[in-house]
Amino acid sequence: MSKFSFSWDKGVGIFLILAVLLGSLLSDNFANVSNLSFVLRDVTEFAIIALAMTFLIISGEIDLSVASTLNLSSASLGFLYRAGVPFELAIIGGLLVGLACGLFNGYLVTKLGLPSLAVTIATLALYRGLSYALLGNKPVNELPEFWISLGYGRIPGTFIPWSTILLVLLVALAWFILHNTRYGRWTFAIGVNAEAAKFSGIPVQRTKLALFAMTGLMSGVAGVVYTLRFASASPDGAAGYELSVIAAVLFGGVSIAGGVGTLWGVIAAVLSLGVIRSALQLAGFTANSLLIVSGGLLLISVIAPKITEGLRNRPRAVSKNNTKKTIREVENE
Amino acid sequence: MVRSKTSARVAVLEMAHVAKAFGGVQALVDAGLVLYPGEVHALLGENGAGKSTLLKTLAGVHRSDAGEITLHGRAFEQGSTRDSIEQGIAVIYQEPSLFPDLSLAENVFVGRQLVSGGLVDWAAMEKASRALFERLGVNLDPHAKARGISIADQQIVEIAKALSTDARIIVMDEPTAALSSQEVERLFSVVRNLRDQGGAVVFVSHRLDEVFALCDRMTVMRDGSTVGTSLIRDTTDSEVVRMMVGREVSELFPKLEPRIGDVVLKVENLGLAGQFSNISFEVRSGEIFALAGLVGSGRSEVIRAIFGIDRYDTGSVTIHGSRLAPGRPAVSMEQGIALVPEDRRQQGLFMASSIARNVAVTMLKKLTSWLLLRRTREESTAATWAETLQVKFANLADPVDKLSGGNQQKVVLAKWLATEPRVLIVDEPTRGIDVGTKAEVHKLLSQKAQQGMAVIMVSSELPEVMGMADRVFVMREGQHRGTLERSEATPEKIITLATGGAVAS
Amino acid sequence: MNALKNLIKAREVPVFLALVLVIAVAGIANPSFLSASGARDILLGVAIVAILAVAQTFVIVMRHIDLSVGSLIGFTSFLIGDLYSQGYGLWVGLAAALLVGALVGAINGFLVAYLRLPSLVVTLGALYVVRGIFNDYAFGRTITAAMVPPEVAWIGLNRLVGIPVLFLIGLALVIVSGVIMRRVRAARDLYAIGSNPVAAELAGIPVARRVFTAFVINGSITGLAGAVMLGRFNAANANSGLALELIVIAACVVGGVTIAGGSGSVWGAFLGAILLQAITRTIGALGIPQFWQQAFNGALIILAIALDKYLSTRVMATTIMGSKDE
Repeated sequence: MSKFSFSWDKGVGIFLILAVLLGSLLSDNFANVSNLSFVLRDVTEFAIIALAMTFLIISGEIDLSVASTLNLSSASLGFLYRAGVPFELAIIGGLLVGLACGLFNGYLVTKLGLPSLAVTIATLALYRGLSYALLGNKPVNELPEFWISLGYGRIPGTFIPWSTILLVLLVALAWFILHNTRYGRWTFAIGVNAEAAKFSGIPVQRTKLALFAMTGLMSGVAGVVYTLRFASASPDGAAGYELSVIAAVLFGGVSIAGGVGTLWGVIAAVLSLGVIRSALQLAGFTANSLLIVSGGLLLISVIAPKITEGLRNRPRAVSKNNTKKTIREVENE
Repeated sequence: MVRSKTSARVAVLEMAHVAKAFGGVQALVDAGLVLYPGEVHALLGENGAGKSTLLKTLAGVHRSDAGEITLHGRAFEQGSTRDSIEQGIAVIYQEPSLFPDLSLAENVFVGRQLVSGGLVDWAAMEKASRALFERLGVNLDPHAKARGISIADQQIVEIAKALSTDARIIVMDEPTAALSSQEVERLFSVVRNLRDQGGAVVFVSHRLDEVFALCDRMTVMRDGSTVGTSLIRDTTDSEVVRMMVGREVSELFPKLEPRIGDVVLKVENLGLAGQFSNISFEVRSGEIFALAGLVGSGRSEVIRAIFGIDRYDTGSVTIHGSRLAPGRPAVSMEQGIALVPEDRRQQGLFMASSIARNVAVTMLKKLTSWLLLRRTREESTAATWAETLQVKFANLADPVDKLSGGNQQKVVLAKWLATEPRVLIVDEPTRGIDVGTKAEVHKLLSQKAQQGMAVIMVSSELPEVMGMADRVFVMREGQHRGTLERSEATPEKIITLATGGAVAS
Repeated sequence: MNALKNLIKAREVPVFLALVLVIAVAGIANPSFLSASGARDILLGVAIVAILAVAQTFVIVMRHIDLSVGSLIGFTSFLIGDLYSQGYGLWVGLAAALLVGALVGAINGFLVAYLRLPSLVVTLGALYVVRGIFNDYAFGRTITAAMVPPEVAWIGLNRLVGIPVLFLIGLALVIVSGVIMRRVRAARDLYAIGSNPVAAELAGIPVARRVFTAFVINGSITGLAGAVMLGRFNAANANSGLALELIVIAACVVGGVTIAGGSGSVWGAFLGAILLQAITRTIGALGIPQFWQQAFNGALIILAIALDKYLSTRVMATTIMGSKDE
């Protein structure tokens, strides 16, 4: 972990605190338990996908089809249920669809060697199109009470939504894998230099395929949660989510070039996104403002590192302590 | 062939007392260079001596902090790369930088396309570049796209580009590193041609034999300053090395007494379509087995196939008697094979990552228990090996791109030696490394061999092969041409085999 | 003879052949497809994408991308109508559209060229920021036929020599752009930048300036093309131009303007747009229900990208960019 991403972490953490303060200032309804619970529920789907996207972007790839995958999983869930499949199995079906979407993306990128940016722009359309093909114009709205209450409700006696438990588990798992296992190291290594990773014995293609599959699966999980929360499976849900996910991941300190990032930064960024959105809504701004905010955060997340980099590389006065060793450092081109 | 009218000539370039710092690091302290028209001038110095920085200042990539630079008798306008090009300076970098999607003609005239009536004149560019190629004695099609042509041809295109800008000073940075000896000869005759027409050619190289064969004068740099200039004919190898290193380097290739044991690795009939065929050899523990040959003979392909980076079509590899699964580097590693690759920046290192991460990357499985990667173990392993190899660094957490070439190579060696392999494969182990570190690497390899490791070494430097190898396996164009024992190996025999001839055994 | 051989090897040839093939298939399935009105339908439908694809080419050959074009063209098409309905006249509307387009292009260009930010991220952010501002500006209103300037309506409805004027505008653009990309020195630099960005700097090309200019050009053309969009649909609302950038990029890729930069031509992009449109119509002509449309588009783009990769790897013998081969 380079020193830089560590301080970026702190920066986002501070930003989150500031955002919460700002929210409290903008509206009296902000800083109460009920609203915070709402914020948590609001960011759950983003956060789940962002966990997987963090790995993917660190490894040097990207997946723009996540919102469509979320939606296709949701549509599959609705489709199966409407066709008479028991809800529990339909959920599994939805998850499998998500996994399949991720595997397909991964196959195109690793086996066919296609650029992930272009390919996932295409699957973004493909998967969304399949949602339409599955459900036509008729969303599925009659879902079992029990499950809907899980998706929307809270643990009795607390402000914690059920879905947050799932989120916390996934966050813990993601953190463990990324920062404390060799699979996490592989992910970073591939992002820094995929060729050197291959020469070091890291199974690059297999790892990338797994990361895409995981992203698809997490999008599927998010799709299930989304369906339960809104009690509806429809083909045009979650449009534009991919932006918020990528904005959160990049704002959280993960470099778009790969090889750099921490999970805590991303979590802080996701929470910041939710907090700002809530604050704006309560203060009377339109839902549309979220688009601008996400776009703005995205831009800040890439501009800021450049500025700090520029500041750090300013020519400084020559210090007497520089030994001969340092000349070699510079010389190495 | 040195012009003897040195004292009467007017220098085309005079750089004196040039200083340049980057951040807090003083790259150039008191550097100087004087060029006359009609000479080939060698610029020598270890990695880190400041050669690149000085030349980049000339090229317009950097601006110097201090010093006087006079070009064609006038003050040199330090500005941009474009300004330098316009003032008659052309630089051909070690990695030729052509534009793969553009035609060769457009490559020659890139950024300065010929126009008629304000619009690009393709016919004129094609005609002019064809003329230039002919003048340089090569048969290149101006219409062809640059993608796919050999490095030697790329250099010719770069030289054509330099000529088309009427460059009076042409700088070549390690131009022979990736050339076969025929291509080197072709390049030399082109350079002599340029010199005879009055151009000044700066020739940067680590290969002293080439320097002595081609150049008229030389300048040696050390630690950011110029330490000496002389006519080539007035000096010797060892004198030059002493100036570069600042001390006597006696034993360049310390070869220890080999203790050769059983066969460890066996390669049988290995073949890969279009790359190599029918390659068979055995390597024993304690042995240093060299793969010699010209650039392009297929040696790196063979070892990549053995290690599993590439797959092979026919044949097999066995280690300690059991068949090694092809195409799986991780499996090769488990079986005790290690590969130090040819291109350390692209293939051997994670430049932006820390020294610790780089050294530990091959050991991750061993440093893990119950899925948890022990970070403390990661750091201590890295520290141990960095120390063993005497890597010069400030902090283990520093990124490796801060190290010199020699130290970077040591990091790559550290990461592989940490896996305690039975077979260590090294591809051009001392390419682009300063003389001092070179000797250290050779000593290390010898020591490891003596401790029982089997070492396979791919090298294009004959002195290195002659000094280190117990056996020499010579390849040419993907085929095995002959194997020489240490006792019978001579440079002449190796070259004969490498260029297609036969040698009486 | 050499010129003819080179012509045959051009990347645009497969696209053209594919176009012929698709039209043949569609014609067999549904002969009305081959009629004059069938052809006109295609030309009409393709105009917007064709114009945007030609403009996008300037950006893609530099190895960059501009994802904000959909939001931008939707916004300017609405803007023209809106200003006209407020009494400002056609030229004010056009000037405003050009200005907005150039401004967005300049901001994108500045961030990418001078701050060296990745164009994917910058223009993705711009896509949403512009859409957001557009949403706020439009605020649920729509531009109806009555609010469209008569000149704009005219170009949308009429034909010259039987060809829709909208298409002719696109044709004129591609002809002019084609000459520029081939014969103007600064334009050739764009190809160099995309082919080898590092070498471009070393060769003395003013990279930042070129990149900035290309984004401004793309933005300006896109902004002005709002008039074309308004003329085509005779209406505009906050959803105008949604997801359009996807099709534009697909048209470019299909047409041989590879995302890796450095190669491809505006003619290729133009042909690619026509090909995509022809395929869409063919799907309709073959009787496949509307709902599958988007899915097909997605699958098509994947096919196009895969084909593009296959063609360029076949051409490549050894890479000169990677490590030296031994």
